[in-house]
Amino acid sequence: MGSAGARPTLFLRNATGLVKAWSTFDAFVYSFWSVNLITLGLYGMSFAYTVPNGQLLAAILIFGLLTTFLVGTYAMLVSVMPRTGGDYAWQSRVLGGGLGFVLSITGWWFTLFLWAPIYANILVVQFFSPLAYTLGWTNVATFFTSQNGIFVSCLIVLAFVSVVVTLGMEVYARIQKICFWIGLVGLAVTCALLLFASQSDFQNAFNREATSLFGAPANAYQATIDAASKTFSGQDFGYFAFGPIFLLLPWLAFYLLWPNWGATLYGEVRGAKDIRKPFWSMFWGLWVTVALVALVMILIVKTMGWNFYQSANAAYWNNLFAVQGAVAPPVPIWPYPVMFAGWLVDNHLFQALLILVMGLWFFGWAGTLFLSSTRVIFAAAFDRVLPAWAANISAKRRVPYGSLILMIVPSVVISAVYAYRPTFTSVFLDATAVLALTFFATVVAAIILPWRRKDLYDASPIARYKIAGVPLITVVGVITGLFLLFMLYQWSFNGDNLYGTSFQKTPNSVYYFLATYIVAVVIYVSARIYRSRQGIDLRRIHHEIPVE
Amino acid sequence: MPRVFFATDLHGSEMCWRKFLNAAKFYDADVLICGGDMTGKAMIPIVEENGHYTVTIASERQVVGGDQVADIENQIRRKGYYPLHVTPARLQELDQDADVRKATFQQIMLDGVRRWMNMAAEKLRGSGVRIFVCPGNDDEMEVDDVVRESDMVELGEGRMVEIDGFTMISTGWSNHTPWNTHREETEEKLGERIEAMARQVSDQSRAIFNLHCPPFRSGLDEAPAIDADLKLLHGGRALRPVGSTAVKEAIEKHQPLLSLHGHIHESKGAVKLGKTLSINPGSAYEEGMLMAAIINLDAKKGIKSYQLVNG
Repeated sequence: MGSAGARPTLFLRNATGLVKAWSTFDAFVYSFWSVNLITLGLYGMSFAYTVPNGQLLAAILIFGLLTTFLVGTYAMLVSVMPRTGGDYAWQSRVLGGGLGFVLSITGWWFTLFLWAPIYANILVVQFFSPLAYTLGWTNVATFFTSQNGIFVSCLIVLAFVSVVVTLGMEVYARIQKICFWIGLVGLAVTCALLLFASQSDFQNAFNREATSLFGAPANAYQATIDAASKTFSGQDFGYFAFGPIFLLLPWLAFYLLWPNWGATLYGEVRGAKDIRKPFWSMFWGLWVTVALVALVMILIVKTMGWNFYQSANAAYWNNLFAVQGAVAPPVPIWPYPVMFAGWLVDNHLFQALLILVMGLWFFGWAGTLFLSSTRVIFAAAFDRVLPAWAANISAKRRVPYGSLILMIVPSVVISAVYAYRPTFTSVFLDATAVLALTFFATVVAAIILPWRRKDLYDASPIARYKIAGVPLITVVGVITGLFLLFMLYQWSFNGDNLYGTSFQKTPNSVYYFLATYIVAVVIYVSARIYRSRQGIDLRRIHHEIPVE
Repeated sequence: MPRVFFATDLHGSEMCWRKFLNAAKFYDADVLICGGDMTGKAMIPIVEENGHYTVTIASERQVVGGDQVADIENQIRRKGYYPLHVTPARLQELDQDADVRKATFQQIMLDGVRRWMNMAAEKLRGSGVRIFVCPGNDDEMEVDDVVRESDMVELGEGRMVEIDGFTMISTGWSNHTPWNTHREETEEKLGERIEAMARQVSDQSRAIFNLHCPPFRSGLDEAPAIDADLKLLHGGRALRPVGSTAVKEAIEKHQPLLSLHGHIHESKGAVKLGKTLSINPGSAYEEGMLMAAIINLDAKKGIKSYQLVNG
């Protein structure tokens, strides 16, 4: 029985499905993983050196603030349409079936092919390479930098993701929780090492291990800064200029734009009708990460030195991308702050253990790579846009082999392109932008929802939230939309090609993404024609039946 | 050949029932089938006191005048709840006496079903459209009697009916659930119930099994995992198959042309189980959206086409 004060306000009877709400903490863990501080976070922020005078801490806080509006928009959409949640369903029901299919399928299906090699690269630079070097397995480490090694790492990621899908979400959710707690312990140890060491302690440790593990000459710390100085003018953490802060936002999107990653799943949750649960789970997932990343940044500044850390990033990436004038750094691997922190303890076994423990941030997170994709493919198959076999599930082990094939096979091809055709690198840099475009379409759907689907909106709990008479979802959606539009503009048209994705400088990515949108349109139009011959009108899937 | 419109698990949502009735004209359907769980799960008291009315909907307390009560009632019905007019004294009695509460709930629920039957008669009498209702495990047994009183809506439960050359058998009974609802039984008994009807069907290639509970491990039966305290596990992300093995065995044994299911709202889908097309259109009754399946039957092909819609 519900009650307000002493009086009951609701009488329930015994009926199926009357469950107690899900734990906000459980959903928080999922959201927290989606904006993964270690894997995506450290990787994405290692490109921040490309923005001269960009104040990273301020940019992170601004990004957190703006992404809160995205969280609000998605939480309200979940609240209006909980059972059929997810970008595909929202876009289809508000913008129309065709537009919904094209925009969401390009983001949640075609673009996620690109994320498999990105995940693989993160696995290599944060796990295989540092672990192998620490244990003295130089051959293993160098193998993963070869083209075959890159391809093998992609296959490892795809195999891992397939195993997770086969195990099922219930088993993986348990694994995630274990990884979450042990990973947090690893992070606490890393932070403690950085907190209690001085900058000279770090310089000594860095110089010692650079020589011990990589055979670098003495004073590798200074040599790293010197190597970067050929192509990088250095950075001062305390410098503050407003413009460059905003230019950092598209880089931060690489990891901080995804607290809503689980929104495609909330539709299955009865508690989602209550706006507070999805909002707070996504909100805390975002802001706990923001707080932790701020802490890690400050500790890096204190102990490693900001100019050194940014120089290490610049030296590594500029050398890898063969920027004119770049020279190889003395420590020729990606500057992994966890590995560097581990060097503060002069014990290779401890260092390896720390890398292993922090690797759980990858293994607790990467398994859900295709989870949302399979849901979108299922939804499109049930709508008869894709063939029925796309939603097939094996009888014995409950493996969604249809959607898995549709994800894995193209991902293997794309991974091969990534490994063996370096000229296509810019395509992979666009992986964030295309998902942002999908989010933008969902945000547009949210903005016009109160008018376009008045029936749904008026019946929802958010109908009472207004600002100056304007529906709150519209106000929040407009702010989110402007934020996303700014980043989309920068990715597409930044004159300096800051993100490696400007249309004028990267024709390969333009062709690739145009091709994906064309393929999506072709699939939809073909399905419309084919189903029409079967007597099925795809346009009526989302047509509302009159009530009166 | 008949075009069948199948929806299920409306759970008292009057908006969905109205859409269900209007679907005949909207989709040009010949047969409407409501697969079960018609009745609502909650009643919301509207407390009359000193000439005004107090009600709490979605955690929001409202005090309204008499002219707004009809609108409030519509809001409540749209969500699948029952409005209940009470005085403060009656509210207290309902709060304290479980038997009175149960009897009141049953009365208001049966009145609701009767109201729906009358709406069906008003809307579709003389249209030639056949309407079948088969109460589900959440519907009390007395619901059947109210449906039987209707001269427009046909009761499906336990019957074998002919639909333009196709044969449909129906039951709203399910295997046991954690909620111990009204039509639950062991898999063995459920199997016997289905078998008693299925063996009378002469041509399974033209048979429709309208069984509220979906087949076990079919992909149509995946519900969020809960613990013993009915709390959702792992943020609601973990799903478990909860369908019936008896239903699965019946489908595997008889291989009907089509099987229609509901019960698990989250598990929308259409799968082939051998020769049988099995459909669970899902349910989003709280949103006022009618999730449904349209099946075009054909004398030669059996199923000419099908489509899941969100009307």
